[in-house]
Formats: sequence, structure tokens, C-alpha cells
Amino acid sequence: MNHFDEMTGLLYLEQQLDASHAQEVRVHVAGCGECRNLLRALELEGVWLRQSLEADDESVPARLVQAPERGSTPWGWLSALGLSAGGAYTMWSGFVEPWRAQAAQSGFTQGNILTMLFFSGAFWKGWDAMRSLTEFLAVATLGVLVIWLLRRHLRRVTAVAVVMGAVLAALAFAPAGQAADVKHGNPSYTLAVGDVVKTDLIVSADTTMIDGDVDGDLIAFSRSVTVNGHIKGDVIAFSQELRVNGQVDGNVRAFVQVMQLNSTVARNVMAWVGDVSLDQTAKVGGTMTLFAGDAELNGAIAGDLLAFLGNIQINGSLGRNALIHAGHLSIGPKAEIQGQTKFEGRQQPEIAATAKLGSPIDVTIVKHRSDKSYSSPRFYWHEVLLWGASFIFGLAMLLVMPGFFFDAAGACKRTMPAIGFGALFLIALPILAVVICITIVGIGVGIAALMFWIVAIYAAQVIVGTWLGDRLLGAAVGMGSALGRMALGLLILRVIGVVPYLGVWFSSLVVCLGLGAIVLAIYRNMRPQLTQAAAI
Amino acid sequence: MSAAELADVLAQVRAGDSDAWGELYRQYAPAIFRFCRRALPTREDAEDATTEIFMKVRQKLGTYDSSRPFTAWLYKVASNHCWDLLRRRRIRQDLETGDLETLPLEHPDPDQLEQLQLKHDSKHVRAGLAKMPDRARMALVLRYYSDMSYDEIADTLGVRRAFVGVLLLRARHQLREILAEGSGGMRSATAGGKP
Repeated sequence: MNHFDEMTGLLYLEQQLDASHAQEVRVHVAGCGECRNLLRALELEGVWLRQSLEADDESVPARLVQAPERGSTPWGWLSALGLSAGGAYTMWSGFVEPWRAQAAQSGFTQGNILTMLFFSGAFWKGWDAMRSLTEFLAVATLGVLVIWLLRRHLRRVTAVAVVMGAVLAALAFAPAGQAADVKHGNPSYTLAVGDVVKTDLIVSADTTMIDGDVDGDLIAFSRSVTVNGHIKGDVIAFSQELRVNGQVDGNVRAFVQVMQLNSTVARNVMAWVGDVSLDQTAKVGGTMTLFAGDAELNGAIAGDLLAFLGNIQINGSLGRNALIHAGHLSIGPKAEIQGQTKFEGRQQPEIAATAKLGSPIDVTIVKHRSDKSYSSPRFYWHEVLLWGASFIFGLAMLLVMPGFFFDAAGACKRTMPAIGFGALFLIALPILAVVICITIVGIGVGIAALMFWIVAIYAAQVIVGTWLGDRLLGAAVGMGSALGRMALGLLILRVIGVVPYLGVWFSSLVVCLGLGAIVLAIYRNMRPQLTQAAAI
Repeated sequence: MSAAELADVLAQVRAGDSDAWGELYRQYAPAIFRFCRRALPTREDAEDATTEIFMKVRQKLGTYDSSRPFTAWLYKVASNHCWDLLRRRRIRQDLETGDLETLPLEHPDPDQLEQLQLKHDSKHVRAGLAKMPDRARMALVLRYYSDMSYDEIADTLGVRRAFVGVLLLRARHQLREILAEGSGGMRSATAGGKP
């Protein structure tokens, strides 16, 4: 017999060889000093390893002396997290919400869905009666979410949580207690003529009528908001209708279905709105930014006009430039635009002969998506860019949540269940989000669910692409190989996706499969104990 | 704690006796912490894992088959939990697996191997373990600390039984190289014997 190798020696020492093979080794060792030495060294190494591992050279931490009690409640934690949740809720409603409208200009295009959610009539009915319950449930839900997210780190970040909780609580309650007058309609709210609110005024009501004056901001959550008085701060409205007949010294920021401006707004107007009209007597001192369905602008705008909308009629004056993306632009006979006008749309604008324009309109006619030309290099360049974007998104996913990423990609193996769950998720989550918004938890959770839904739909292609790459090239290990497989898979998905007719169905299938895989991976990650139980 | 006492304590824990639970915990928590300390890369991970393991133990005590040794079941729960934690850090695991598959194995020189063992005490070995890839470290701990069989190791790590020996041998090589690197001569310390 030749010298045996190290593997055989180890298996012999660990009694893992079958009897005949072990006997061969035994006989060989008896006559081979070299192999005997190797065997002895390996045996000593095993003993050395055991002794080294068994050596008790580290104390047991004191906090492990006490047995963990199931169901015991760390009240300090609950308090801290409760305060944090309250702070988070206030941060959301006080800071995030108002700025979300601005974020919409950066390309978020879910405006119609959100508008529908916020401003459907059913949502506002009974709002006032439900407000307290809704707020409470929203806070409670956020608290539960935070606890769940931190469940593995509770002890390590206790001090941080207490401090952060206190800070957020300070953020949450100080402004509410000192700097704003909060009013609840019953069901309507009216600030009478002659009455003055010296601070910010926050109103939630079915109908809000502001006939008096407000020295600070007016923030209104209401089905209908009418402002006849003088607002010295901003008007921020979340409503179905907004009519501004009184002077506003600050900005108007609206998230409404119908908006009418009939007075002077000293600063800027920004609106995410279905229909907007600027009366011929109205004046806007700054910039007007619109994200709207239809707009009729007959008043005066001192600054720029930035508009993304369906149809727009301009028959007023504009002090500076206009940048308009619209289906249709009509410039009436009384219009006067002093700066440059850029228009992007699907058809040529209608311009009255008597309209006064500072310079010729720069018109760009945008082709409809169905007009895409497969023979155009630009089309393929566009597809390459989309592929690159999805790859970068996948890379970010891989770096941020590698475990989940691979779990989801692996879940694609269960093709039929994944497609089924994906289709269910695709349909059910938006409905659930609407229900949450209207009846149960609150806007924040509903919107978050919708955001997650949108991100998950986009992520679906990345998950399926990675799985497809694995299927084609075979399973591999390491980040580099995962990225390579993802790139190949995404490329294939995109190529098939642009095939006429077939591509649409294929892409739908990919979305369902990817969404289902994500759902399965989430389910798996939320129930690690099931895996554990199965393994025992 | 004798077998009869343990059985009694387990029965009381199942019946919801918190004192019995405390006793069981005090008896076994230090050992499980030591296991976790060897299986996981950091002390913080080990502390957290120990607590989580005992929470699981309490939840799953109903599934424990009293005809089997309790400590074996406990270590099985602990090893599964630790491996699950490590598995979730998938990127690292995958990279390690890649390293493992391509690692060239050279026969050790028995003399130099013995020298290496003489040079390094348990603290060095433990420090070396912390630098090892998760799966390799886990394999060594399961085999040489928990004294698990090849079948149990294969089951815990989710590999074929025939691969366990390869895993252990490669883990030993990795540990040797880490220790040899620490003492200034990787190849010369361990490799160079027979082809």
C-alpha cells in the first residue's frame, strides 16, 4: 500500500472509515514510520484542539446569570419605544408629509393613487370621530414595528433608545403643546370673522371655514377648506377642496382634488391637485409648481411656472420662465409671459395671436410610448439604461440585505406557489392599504404599505433575474458570481420584456414570481423558529 | 444535577414553574454561552445568542424527547441557532465556501505541526478561531467542543455527511495557517511533507 493521505488519516482517527479500509491503514501504519508520525501529529492536534476549546478562560457575563422570562415586559423599553413611536409619528405628520409633495416633483408618479386615497369622499366622512383612534393605532403600530425591528438588539441599544426616545418625544410634544392651536371639527370648524389665532392653527374637520385671521401657519385636514381670512404664515391643506379667498403671506402647499386661488399669495404655490384654477384677480408672489390634471391660470404669477399636468390654459401673466410638461397647452389672448417658455407635450400648443410672449416657445413633441421604434438606437440605449438601473438596485439590495436577497432568490424555485402568492400580493396589498387608510390604522401605515408594494414590484425583476442567472450558469458562491448571475438574468428578462405582446405577459409573470418569492422570503424570515423546529 | 433531578426540573418547567426554569437556566446557561462564544465571532453575538437560545428552549421544551439526553438536545438547539445566525450573513458564508473549495491542501510536516501546537496555547487557538470563516469554525466547534457525530454535524451545517471530513480537515488547515501567520511563517510551519 502506498502512503495514505491526510484525509484518510483523519477519518481513521475519527473512526469514520469502514472496517476493511481501517484495517489497511492499521497494517500500513505498523510498517511505515512516516505515516505513523503523520497519524500521531494529527491525533495530537485533535487533542490539542479539544483542550484548547474546552479551556474555560472567559467569564460568563453577569447579565446571563438571570434567566430570561417569557412574557416579562421591560417597561423602560416599552416607555422609551412608545415615546420614540410617538416622535416618529409626529415627525411623519409634521415634517415628512409636507415635504412629500416636493418629493413628487423628483419623479414619483404615484400621485393619482395617493390623491385617490387621500381625497376620496368616503375617507373624510367620519374622520373627525375616528381621529383619536386612528392616531392611537398608528402610534401603536409604529411602536410594534420598532420593537420587532430591534428585537435582536434590545439590550445592546437600551441607552441609545432611551436617549433617542426622549429626543423624539421632545420633538413630538414641544411644538404641539406650545406652538400650535389644534382644533377638531364637530363635524365642521369655523374660525369666525374677527377671531384671531396667534399661533399655528391645525384643523381636522369635515368642513373648515377660516373667516378670521391666523398669525401662523394653517394646516388643515378636511374635506373642504375655505380660507376667507388673512393667513400670515403658510397654508398647508390636505383636502378634497381648497378655496383661498383671503390673503396668504406665506406659501400655499396643497394636496387636494380641487383648488381655487382667488386672492394674493405672497410667496410660492405648490400643489398636487386634480383641478386648479387661478382667478384673474389672484396673484402669486413667487413660483407656482403644479402637479395636476387640469389647470386654468388667469391670474398673475410673479415668478416661474413649473407644471406637470394633463391640460393647461394660461390666460394670465407670468413674470419669469415657464417649464410645462402637459398633454395640451393653450395660451389665451390675455396671456403675458415675460420669460422663456419651454413646452413638452404630445401636440402643438394653441397660442392666441394677441398673447404676449417674451420669446418664441421652445416646443418638444413627445411621442407616445406605443410609438417606440425598435429600429432606433435610442430605444436600445434606453433599455440599457433601464437594465443598468435595475442592476444598481439589485446591487444595493445585495449589499444591504444579503441574507434576504438570497432567500428571496432561492424562493423562486417554488415557482407555482411563488406565482400564486405574488399574484395575490399584487392585487391584495393595494386594497389592504386603502382599507388601512380608511378604516383601521391610518394614512402613514397605508402609504408605507403602498410604497413597499411599489418597491417590491420593482425588486421582483432583480430577484427573478438572479434566480434565472443561477439556473443558467449553475449555483455559485460569492458576491461576484451573484452579481454576474444577476446581470445576466436581468439582461435576459429585459430582452424578452421588449418582445411585442409576449413581453407584457412575460413581464407580468416575472412580477408575480418575484413578488411571491419576496413574500415567501419574508414569511421565512419572520418565522425562524419554524425552521428551527423543523431542523430539530 | 442528576438525571432524576433533571427530569423533575424539566417536568416543572413544562408545568410553568418559573423557579424550575431559573434553576435549569442557571445550570446550563454558562455552558451554552461558552459554546456560543466558540461558535460565533464576537462576545456580543454569544451573549445575545445565549438568551435567544434559552427563549427557544422554553418554547420548544414540549418537543424534547425525554428518552434522549437533554444536553444533546440543548446543544442541538444551540448549534442550529448559531448556524442559523451565521447563515443569515450569507455573503460572508458564500465567500468562505468559495475559499474553502479552492484552498489547496498540502500535507503537513508532522514535526512542524507538533511545534505549532507547542507554540500556541488555548488563547491563541481561540483567537485563531475567531478569524476563521464561519463554517470552518463551526465545524471545529461542533466536533471538538460539542463532540457531535459526523451525522449531527452534517445535519446542522446542511452538508452531505461525506463532506464533513473534508470540512474538518480544511478547517484544521485554515487554523494552522492562521496561527502560523501569527507566528511569522505560514508555509514553513505546517506544509512541506509528502506530496
